Amino acid sequence: MTERRKKSKERRSSVALASFLLLQATAAVFFVGDAASELFQDPGEPHSVFEGLVSVALIVGVAVGIWQLRVTLARMAAQERALETARGSLADVIDAQFAAWKLTPAERDVGLFALKGLDVAQIAEIRGAAAGTVRAQLTRIYAKAGVSGRAQFAAWFVEDLLQAGLEMELPERQRA
Amino acid sequence: MTKVQNRTRAGGTIVPPDPWDPLVRITHWLIALAVLCNGLLNKGGGTWHVWIGWGVLAVLALRLAWGLVGPAEARFSAFPPAPRAAIAHLRDLLRGRPREHRSHNPAGALMVYALWGSLAVITLTGLVMTDAQSPVTLAEQKAAVAAGDWSALAAAPPTGNNEAIKDVAEEIHEVFANFLLILAGLHVAGVAIESRALRRNLLRPMLLGSRKP
Repeated sequence: MTERRKKSKERRSSVALASFLLLQATAAVFFVGDAASELFQDPGEPHSVFEGLVSVALIVGVAVGIWQLRVTLARMAAQERALETARGSLADVIDAQFAAWKLTPAERDVGLFALKGLDVAQIAEIRGAAAGTVRAQLTRIYAKAGVSGRAQFAAWFVEDLLQAGLEMELPERQRA
Repeated sequence: MTKVQNRTRAGGTIVPPDPWDPLVRITHWLIALAVLCNGLLNKGGGTWHVWIGWGVLAVLALRLAWGLVGPAEARFSAFPPAPRAAIAHLRDLLRGRPREHRSHNPAGALMVYALWGSLAVITLTGLVMTDAQSPVTLAEQKAAVAAGDWSALAAAPPTGNNEAIKDVAEEIHEVFANFLLILAGLHVAGVAIESRALRRNLLRPMLLGSRKP
């Protein structure tokens, strides 16, 4: 949720940057055009020299704006990639751990749904199975994983991501 | 996680940017607006026409610079002009099986270059027709003349001997303006047809900034 909000904020800022860049470029073209025609008519005037200087400043401003927008967009793309990689590698971690716990294919499916936050009734509906079957499968999964229930089961995978902050407080954990 | 899986499952096809970057989007719609204004609403010339024309010059210059240094999809290198590939793409489109492309499709790329070329010709001939006087100068002159100060016209660059060049410029200006309007119509039709064939709304990424509705 916060990730999404941050992303949309960044996106808005890139739109604002692009709009400002356009305004700047338009102003630069108008000013440079006007200054050039005056410079053409009476070159060497202090006024023309001044306008020339402002023209250069405007053009440099546009160039800097282009560079800034480019950097912002590149950073947004990198974040997107990083997020996808994180999602992808979490999926790999889950797959590997399910295999280590020797879950059956059916149990893997049910386990994945459970991790995604679906309740027994929903899982049963998706799999076209009886609620009792799903409940029994979940119990076997928890037993194989050596966890007390759903909360601990989900925490098993989340804990790694949070470990950095809690390392000092938590005792060494035993893993199956 | 499901997103990644879905994407790999759909795999092989190259999905174009959704959205296009903000600079591409904003310049696109500003140019569209300017073409509608100057091509259909105030064709006749006049100060507003010149203001908008100079604006187009700025927007076009910025977009072309972006074509050199922008993100990969916005760069010229992502959509080189390739007439043969364009014809192949149109043939696929007629069969209803166009391929996905990361940036503009080859036919769209040709359209882009034709549009940019026409815009360049139109703005440059427009400059010739107005002696490259900025709209600011033109407006000042008009105001001075309206106030009864005819000397403003005398200060303007001499126009006598290049009257013939201006006539030619005007001719080219008008021909390319009509050409541009035809191209714009074809462009809209192309987007509509391609959207149908790909079963994907191609207008959305150009219009909106978000990936999801």
